[in-house]
Amino acid sequence: MAQKIDDLKVYWNKITYAFPILNDAIFSDCSNTEYEEVQQLISGLGIEIKIRDLILVHIEKYLRQHVAPNFWAKFSKVDEEIKGFQLFKSAVTDLYEAVSSFSPILCRLTILNNNCNDNKPIYGEKDVILGFKQLVRATLLSQLPLNFHIIINHFYKVSFNVFDNEYENSEMAEDVMCSGCLNEYSDCNCAYIVKVFHDTNRKLMDLQLLERLTGQVLTNFIQMRIESHIQKICTGTFDISHIGFLENWLDTTLMTWLTRIYCAGSSKPPPDDKNIQNAISKFKQKLSYFLYHSYTKLRIDQLFNIIIEYPDSQPAIDDIKLCLDKTDLRPTLCKKLQNALETRLLHPGVNTPDILTAYISTIRALRHLDPSGVILEAVTKPVRNYLRNREDTVRSVVSSLTEEGAGSELAEELAKFAAEADGDNDKDDAWDEWNPDPVDADPKVDSNDRRASDIISMLVNVYGSKELFVNEYRTLLADRLLAQSVINTEKEIRYLELLKLRFGESQLHFCEVMLKDILDSKRINALIHQDKSIEELNKKFTSNAMILSAQFWPPFKDESLELPEEIKQHLEAYTKSFEALKGNRTLSWKPHLGNVNIEIEIGTKKLDLTVSPFNATLIMHFQNKPEWTIDELHQAMKVPVTILRRKITYWQSMGLITEKSTDFFVLVDSSDSKTNVQTSQVQDMICEDEETESVMTSAQDQREGELQVFWSYIVGMLTNLDSLPLDRIHQMLKMFALQTPGTECSIQELRQFLDTKVRTHQLVLQGGMYKLPKT
Amino acid sequence: MAQNINPHYASSSNPAKQNEDTIKLKDNHAVSKRLQKELMELMRCADKGISAFPESENLFKWIGTINGPQETVYSGHKYKLSLEFPNSYPYAPPMVKFITPCFHPNVDTCGLICLDILKDKWTALYDVRTVLLSIQSLLAEPNTQSPLNQQASYLWPNQPAYKKYLDEFYSKHKDS
Repeated sequence: MAQKIDDLKVYWNKITYAFPILNDAIFSDCSNTEYEEVQQLISGLGIEIKIRDLILVHIEKYLRQHVAPNFWAKFSKVDEEIKGFQLFKSAVTDLYEAVSSFSPILCRLTILNNNCNDNKPIYGEKDVILGFKQLVRATLLSQLPLNFHIIINHFYKVSFNVFDNEYENSEMAEDVMCSGCLNEYSDCNCAYIVKVFHDTNRKLMDLQLLERLTGQVLTNFIQMRIESHIQKICTGTFDISHIGFLENWLDTTLMTWLTRIYCAGSSKPPPDDKNIQNAISKFKQKLSYFLYHSYTKLRIDQLFNIIIEYPDSQPAIDDIKLCLDKTDLRPTLCKKLQNALETRLLHPGVNTPDILTAYISTIRALRHLDPSGVILEAVTKPVRNYLRNREDTVRSVVSSLTEEGAGSELAEELAKFAAEADGDNDKDDAWDEWNPDPVDADPKVDSNDRRASDIISMLVNVYGSKELFVNEYRTLLADRLLAQSVINTEKEIRYLELLKLRFGESQLHFCEVMLKDILDSKRINALIHQDKSIEELNKKFTSNAMILSAQFWPPFKDESLELPEEIKQHLEAYTKSFEALKGNRTLSWKPHLGNVNIEIEIGTKKLDLTVSPFNATLIMHFQNKPEWTIDELHQAMKVPVTILRRKITYWQSMGLITEKSTDFFVLVDSSDSKTNVQTSQVQDMICEDEETESVMTSAQDQREGELQVFWSYIVGMLTNLDSLPLDRIHQMLKMFALQTPGTECSIQELRQFLDTKVRTHQLVLQGGMYKLPKT
Repeated sequence: MAQNINPHYASSSNPAKQNEDTIKLKDNHAVSKRLQKELMELMRCADKGISAFPESENLFKWIGTINGPQETVYSGHKYKLSLEFPNSYPYAPPMVKFITPCFHPNVDTCGLICLDILKDKWTALYDVRTVLLSIQSLLAEPNTQSPLNQQASYLWPNQPAYKKYLDEFYSKHKDS
């Protein structure tokens, strides 16, 4: 028995000699021939499987207790990059050595395993070596510390710097520092770093740990690099396309570097290794998506500025267009741009013309970006809503439509439209270029409408009706026609023709009549001046009348003005002559409109002026009597005192009249006129503004008149249906009162209108319901 | 009754009738147009004491209001009526009924009105305005020969008593 125990001890010693791991050691001097003996011994005892399993358990334990902790111990949190680099390098080297030192044991274990003949997989692998590697990975990763990525990051950062420097050095040559390793050139470390780097990568690859350990870190690192690279080259400039350059950078710099990591230093992947090729191409796909994604994101953030600079920024728009197809950023783009527009454009601090300019370039840029117009529609909705609330939108649009020279993009657009209108027939030829609408398109809207609508119609559509625009144009035209003494009717007719092409003949009929009035007036004037009785009067001064057809002109602001007797007689004679010329028709004078050329002589001073009839009347009164109180003037001119006071400042600023005491005005003699000259210039500015005031009733006043039409409907409704809420009233009006085209009324407008009625006690608002007051 | 229902809103269960309805539908547009025009007319020249407006989105059902004619027993009272237009309007008269209870020789307790122009004397020349004006004048001058409300007819010759009864009738009505 004792003999047997002794034998067993000897056997055990021999086995542990061959497999020192059983005693938690690795090194032994066991040679191959010696092992054969041990192997036979094990076979003799028939305990191959038991021994093998025992050894595996011990290897596992050893790895868990020694190798893995040693490896991870180096992964401390270090701030210095170069230190991290060293730590990682030594960790990997140590691990590699530790793992390689197992190879004799593994060699023997393989033989042992081959003798087992039970085909049992070792850690899921057929082969002992593969199983061992699997075990190493599993053990290491099971003990992954929290901050393991820090030094890995350092490691790759340092090496990338060196690599990047290798590729892009040159102009930095005079620097004392090597930009790769940040050491002085004298002891540049780059070569060493590159060597260590490749070495480490090869070892990791060998251990099949590269992907597991560094994959995520590497991806993060490269993504950061991409982002910072994009930031570096793409800020501020929109007039260059960057996407090709970035793609190239990704291909040459990043991908070469990655290939080197995966292929241990060579810049080309081994042609026979499919795994590495796959890994690299997958990486590349991921990275190029990321590149597009971050580039587009950056551009989207800058989109507002890009749009403002359009068309100079067209390359940037082209880039976005390209990238949008490759990424899923359309919704982001819409949202971001909308926000940017809202915060930067749509607030009270921005002038309406500026908003319009921005709106126009948005339309242009987005049209270029997305020809289907879907993005445009989504993005500009708040702009349209906002413009609708601005009072002077229509006026701005119309005035820029008819403006000439710089900054009148709309005028150009109008002319362009006229040119395009002829060559519109080739639409059918483009059938093979048809593309379906993007998925986010509103299916209710015809895609042709979206595509076809041009800038002017988009502006007109802000209000949803042409009427408002045409009316505003009419008012502006009237203003212009009346303000000028010499009218360039040819130019106006040209614009009118252009507008007609767009808005249709019928809408602009009124304007046509207005222009015709102007032309006719000239002729009639000439005829009247041939009249004998007028000729007599003309000796003193001549008058030219503009004869307007009251029906077709927009309503004038009513201002009373009593003209001097002399002038009145003259005008009466003129009227008589007109009546003789045109039977059944007469003239109704608008004394406050028009211009008067006057010549003033005071002492040595002589002035030639063109002023409004108001001012002319005023100064004429002073001709006969040099001193007037404001009340006397009020009696003579039948004009409210406040207006008189305002208007008289014109002559005060000219230095012809002074206010001697309150409300007492005196004509200035030439002798003391000099003292007033200085003050005149300042006040000139103030007067200027008043003279350019529009003589037409504002569009808003006209609108109020239109709303009045609804009032009878509202009364009818409320008489019969007692009380109704706002939206019901609006709905009813829409049903029954708004049948005639062009009469539109938003619910907000209606609310305002009803509120004024409530204020004047024509309506009662009770618990959200409108009611007629009880009589 | 059936002809007074707008085919838009009546769900026809009878397939044979559907055909007839579609024919009516064609006319429907013309009727709507006529009613629309009448409404516009009515809104533009608002007569004192009469008014009418569609009850809801349905142009075929209106509510009318008549003020009791001045210097009659009805003065100071206000009457609501319902007007329903058949699809054959204006070739057939509208169905007019008092909503507000009306004590009158020619109006029954359900509000139905006995007025010749709403029955056999109807012509297409009448419209909402004239109908309402006729009813207003009917209030002032009832036809006691063919009464629907015997009591009112009996009481009519004695105007002060009639007035007294009427006021009591309405003050009672207001309470309930």
